[in-house]
Amino acid sequence: MILIFLLFFGGSFYMSVRISRKKENADGYMTGGGKIGFGISAASMTATWIWASSMYASATSGYTYGVSGPIHYGLWGALMILLIYPFGRRIRAVAPRAHTIAEVMFARHGRSSQLMLAGSNVLGSVISLTSNLIAGGALVGMLTPYTFTQGVVAIAAGVLLYTLWSGFRASVLTDFAQVVALLGAVVVIIPVVFFAAGGPSLFETGAANLTPQQENFFSSDAFFNQGAPYIAAVLAYAIGNQTIAQRLFAVREDLIKKTFVTATFGYGATIIGIGMLGVIALYAGIQPLDGDVNNLIPQLAATYLNPLLLCLFFVMIIGSLSSTADSDLTALSAIVMADVYGQNVAGKKRANPRTMVLIGRITMVVAIAAGLVFAGGRFNILDLLVFVGALWGALVFPVIASFYWDRVTNVAFSVAVVAGLAVFLPVRFSWVDLSGGLGIASDVLSTLGIGVVLGLMAFGFFGTRVALVVGILATVVAAPFAIGFLHTYPVLSGSLVAYAASTVVCVALTMLNKDRFDFALIKERTGDFDKEPAAVSQPVDEPRRPEPVAAGEGIL
Amino acid sequence: MTFLLTLYVLIWPVVVAGVLFVISRAFFRELRAAKAEGRSVI
Repeated sequence: MILIFLLFFGGSFYMSVRISRKKENADGYMTGGGKIGFGISAASMTATWIWASSMYASATSGYTYGVSGPIHYGLWGALMILLIYPFGRRIRAVAPRAHTIAEVMFARHGRSSQLMLAGSNVLGSVISLTSNLIAGGALVGMLTPYTFTQGVVAIAAGVLLYTLWSGFRASVLTDFAQVVALLGAVVVIIPVVFFAAGGPSLFETGAANLTPQQENFFSSDAFFNQGAPYIAAVLAYAIGNQTIAQRLFAVREDLIKKTFVTATFGYGATIIGIGMLGVIALYAGIQPLDGDVNNLIPQLAATYLNPLLLCLFFVMIIGSLSSTADSDLTALSAIVMADVYGQNVAGKKRANPRTMVLIGRITMVVAIAAGLVFAGGRFNILDLLVFVGALWGALVFPVIASFYWDRVTNVAFSVAVVAGLAVFLPVRFSWVDLSGGLGIASDVLSTLGIGVVLGLMAFGFFGTRVALVVGILATVVAAPFAIGFLHTYPVLSGSLVAYAASTVVCVALTMLNKDRFDFALIKERTGDFDKEPAAVSQPVDEPRRPEPVAAGEGIL
Repeated sequence: MTFLLTLYVLIWPVVVAGVLFVISRAFFRELRAAKAEGRSVI
C-alpha cells in the first residue's frame, strides 16, 4: 500500500514537472489559457466531480434506501453536470476570458455580488477539501499500519506537491491519469465484489434483509429523503461551484457540450455503480464497522478483494479524492488571485501576474493547512453536501438571471441572496415550530421553489416561454400534495424555500429598475491578466466552430 | 427479477468502460497532435 501511495503521488508529481515552466503564467495557473481539448477536459470534469465522499455517500444511499438509493444519489449528481451546459455556453459567450463566476459577477454587478459568490465557493471548496482528506485518512487508517492523522497529512502533502507549482494545468493533466485509474478500477471492482458476495443468488438469499421500501425501485422514502433534496441541490451545485466553472472557462468553447455530456455519463455510471456496493452489502446483511456507514466501501473491499485488487481499490479512492482535492486547491487559488487580489486589491489593470501566481501558491498552502485543521473534526458528509447546496441554492436564480436579464441590479442580487439564506436557515435547522401557520407558509414557499427549480431547468434548454409554463404547471400540480406536508422534510424544504425566496425578491427588485445593462461590457471588464497569452493547446481533431445559441439567450 | 437486478448492478461498469474508452482515445489523439506540433498538451 505504501509503495502504491508513493507511486501514485510520485507519478502525479512527475506529470506536473513535465509541464512545469520556470515562470508560470497567471491565466494558465487559473484556467490553462481557456483552450483545453476534449480528452483532458472531459477527464478532468469527470475526475473532479467523482470525489471520495460521493462514492461513500452513494454506497450509503444504496445501503440505507435499497435498490433505488444509488439512483437517487448518482443520477441527480450527473444531472448537475448536464444542467450547466446550456448556461455554461451563455456564461462563456458573455465572458470568454474570465477565470471565476464571481469575477464575472463583479463585472456585471459589483463587489457585493462578487464576494457573495466567492465567499460561498471558499466555504464549499474548504468543506470539499476537508471531506476528501477525512476520507483518505480513514482509508489509510483502515488499510495500512498508519493512523488516520498520518494518512490525512500524507495525502494533503501529496496533493499539494503536484499542484503547487503549475496550478490548474497540473490539476487537469493529472486528472487524466487519475480518471483512468479510477474508472478502470470501477470496471473491475464492482463485478468482482458482486460475484464474490454471492452473485445473482444474493438477490434471493438476501431478500429478507430488505424492508418493503428498500426493495421498491420507486421508494417514496428514498425519493423524499435522498432524491428530492438532491434534485433541488443539483442546479445549485452546477451554477455555484467554482471547480466546475473553472473547467467551463478552460475548455475550448466549441467543445463545451461534448465535454459536459461525456462527464455526465462518466460521473453517473461511476457513482451509481459504486452505490451498488451499498446495495450488495444490504442484501448480504453486512453491518457497517463501528456502525459508521462511511466504512462500508473499505469494509467490502477488505472482505471480498484479493491483495492485488485491494491495491486497485486503494488507487481508486486515492485517485478520486486527489483529483477533487487538487481542483479545490486550484479553485480557491483562482478565487483569491482573480477576485480578491486581481479585482479588489490591485485592480484589473494594475494586477501583477507574477504576484498573482505567488498569491495562488500561498493560497494553496493556507487552504491545505485549513483542511488539515478541519479534518480533525468528523462531519456527516451527506449533510454537508446538502448544506452547501442550499447555500448555493439562494444564489442560483440571481446568478442565472444576471446572465440573461439586463435589468437585474446589484441590490436585487444581493438582497435576494440574503433573503434566501434568511428563510433557509430556520427551516433547514428547525429553528422555528413549523407545525402551525409557519409550516403552511413554509410549504407555500417550498411549492413555489419546486416551480422555480423545474422552471430554471427548462429555461436552460428550452427558453423563457417553456420555462414559465413548466414552472407554473409544476407549482400548481404540486400545491395540493405539498402544502401541509413538505415541512415535515426539513432538508428538502430548506433548499426549496431558499430558491423561492431569492427568486421572488430578485424579480420584485429587478422589476423596479428600468435601466438596461449592456452585456458586452462583461467581455471588456474580464479577461487575461497576463499581457502575453498563455501557451495553450491548439485545435486538434476538428475545426473550431461556434455552438448554436443557448435556448434562453437574450430572451428576457 | 433476479436477472433484472443482476443487470441493474452490472450495467454500470459497462457504461464506465465505454466512457473510459472515449476519454482515453481523445486524450492520446491530443497528445500525439501536440507532440507532432512540438508544443505542450496543456
